Amino acid sequence: MAMLILAACLVLAAALSLGARFITPGELLQLLQGHGDPMVRAMVIELRIPRILMALAAGAALAGGGTVFQAMLRNPLADPFIIGVSGGAALGATAVILFLPPGVPVVAGAFAGSLGATFLVFSLSRRLSLGSETLILAGVAISFSLSSMVFLMYAFGRSSDVHRAVMWMMGDLSLGRYDMVLPGTLMVAVLIGALFFFHRHLDIISFGENFSRNLGIGGKSLGTIFWIAALLVALPVAMAGIIGFVGLMVPHITRSLWGGRHGRLIPLSACTGALFLLAADTAGRSIAVPYEIPVGVITGLAGGIFFVAMLFRRRQ
Amino acid sequence: MTETRQGDILFSLKGVSGGYGGKEVIQDLTLDIHRGDFAALIGPNGAGKSTLLKLMTGILIPSKGEVTFKDKAIQGYSPREFARQAAVVEQSMRTLPSYTVGEFVELGLFPHRQLFSFAESPEASRVAEALEECRIAHLVHRSIDQISGGELQLASIARALVQNRDVLLLDEPVSHLDIHHSIAVMDLLHDLNARGATVITVLHDMNRASDYCGRLIGLKEGTLFFDGTPEETVSYGRIEELFELVCIVRDNPITGAPFTYPVPGYVAQGKKKGTP
Repeated sequence: MAMLILAACLVLAAALSLGARFITPGELLQLLQGHGDPMVRAMVIELRIPRILMALAAGAALAGGGTVFQAMLRNPLADPFIIGVSGGAALGATAVILFLPPGVPVVAGAFAGSLGATFLVFSLSRRLSLGSETLILAGVAISFSLSSMVFLMYAFGRSSDVHRAVMWMMGDLSLGRYDMVLPGTLMVAVLIGALFFFHRHLDIISFGENFSRNLGIGGKSLGTIFWIAALLVALPVAMAGIIGFVGLMVPHITRSLWGGRHGRLIPLSACTGALFLLAADTAGRSIAVPYEIPVGVITGLAGGIFFVAMLFRRRQ
Repeated sequence: MTETRQGDILFSLKGVSGGYGGKEVIQDLTLDIHRGDFAALIGPNGAGKSTLLKLMTGILIPSKGEVTFKDKAIQGYSPREFARQAAVVEQSMRTLPSYTVGEFVELGLFPHRQLFSFAESPEASRVAEALEECRIAHLVHRSIDQISGGELQLASIARALVQNRDVLLLDEPVSHLDIHHSIAVMDLLHDLNARGATVITVLHDMNRASDYCGRLIGLKEGTLFFDGTPEETVSYGRIEELFELVCIVRDNPITGAPFTYPVPGYVAQGKKKGTP
C-alpha cells in the first residue's frame, strides 16, 4: 500500500513535469504559490491537469471494469472489451469521423456505439441463457462483425479521415478538456463506488454459476452489475478511444498482489489502473518529443511483454 | 437408520420433463418430497439425478409439467427468496484462495442480508454453531484452498446449514471422499434429518443410500424406476436391472438395511467379462 502511494506521488510529479517542455520542480512550486511564468501556468492548468485527470479516470474505469468482468465471466483472461464495448465504440466513432458533419462530437458516436453493441451482446447471450461462455462467444462474434463493418467504412472514407479514425482507435488522452473530463471523472468515481457495493456478490459469483444462484444471486443482480461495469468501461472508450490491455493486465497484477477479494480488489485495481495509464501516457508524450506515441501503443507493448513474462514465470 | 417419517408435501413434481439444449434428460416425472424425508436419488450415470435436483431448485426450467415448493410454483420464487428457504450443496465449485473456512461458511448468511447494510447480522452465531456441528471449528482460520476435499465438503455443508437448516439438497456429497469423511458426512446428514431437516441427496453408493436414507428414489433414463424404503426397493433383481450388473443382496449386520454386493466380472445381464 505504501508502495502504491509512493508510486502515485512519483507518477503525478512526472506527469506534471515531463512533456514537450520540461517543467522543473521549482517552476511547479512557484505555480502552487500563485507565481510563475503565465505560459507555464497555462500549459499546466489548461493542458496537463485535464490530461492527467483523463488518464486517471480512464485507467481507473478500465481496470475497475476489467476486474468486474473477469469475476462475472469467471475468466481471468477476459478483457472488458469482450462484451462489445470497444467494437461498438470503434464503429460509432468511425461513422461520425467519416460520414457525419464536423460538428457532431465523436464522443457521442463512440458512446452510443459502445452501449448499442453491449446491448446486442447482452441480449443475445441472455436469449441463449446468460452463461459466461455464451456471453464471451457472443461478444467475440459481434466484435468481429463490428470490426469488419469498420473496415468496410474505411473503404468508402477519405484517407485523411481514415487516418483520424485510426488514430482515435489507438487511444488519445490529449482530447481532455475540463468540460468533458470533470463530469467524466465524477461519473467514473460514482460507478466504481456503485460496483464496490456489490463486492460480496462478485466474490460469490467467482465461486461458480450454480453456487451464486444457490446463494440467491439471480439474473437481476447479474444484469445490474453487468450494466454498471459496461457503462464504466464505455465512458473512457468514448472519451479517449480504445486503450487495450489495461482492463486485462491490471486486474491480473492486483489479484496476484492483494488476493481475489473484491472489497479490496475493486479500489486497488482502480488506483493501479489509474496510475498505470498515467505513467503510460506520460511516457508516450515524453519519449519521442516532439512526436507523441499513442497511449494505446504503449499499453499494448507493455501488455504484450507482461504476458510473455507471465508465461515464463508460470513455466518456471 | 432407515425409519421413514412423512409430513406435508414440500416439493411436488407433476409430469415434469426437462434437460439441456432441447434434450429431455428427465421425462414426465411425477414425485412428491415430504417434509422430514431423507431421500436419496440413485441411478446410473446420466439417469438425470443432478438434472432433477436442478429442476427442483429452479436452476433449470421444466419444458413440461410443474415443480412446486411449499405449494407455490418454483419459478415464482426469486433466487434470493428460495435461497432463504432451502440450501443447496453443489457437486463441485471453484474456490477463492483468499477466503478462510470461517468466511466461506459465513457466506450462508448472504441471502439473509440486506444489500446496502454493513451491520453484522444478529445471526452471526449460526456460523460458529455450524462449524462446531460439522466438526471443522479448528479450520476456521485456514484458507479454503488449503483444506482437503473432505474438509471442503464439510465446510460446504456448514455453509448450507448457516443458510437454511430445514431443507438441504446435496449433489453427490460423498463421491470423492475417503471412507472416513464419507461416513462423517452421512452421519451428519442423518443427525440433521433426525432433528427435523428434510434432506434430498444424490448418491452413487447404493449401500450408503440404503444404510442412511429412509427413501430411495431410483432413476433410469430420466424416468422413475422405483420409489420407497430400502426394504421395498433394494432387491437383487431391481438393482441388477437399474445398474445392469449382477449382484447379491444381503442384510447389513450392523444397520439391518439391505446391502448390495456387486459380483466382480459380470455386467449387463450377467455376461461374463472376467473372473468373479
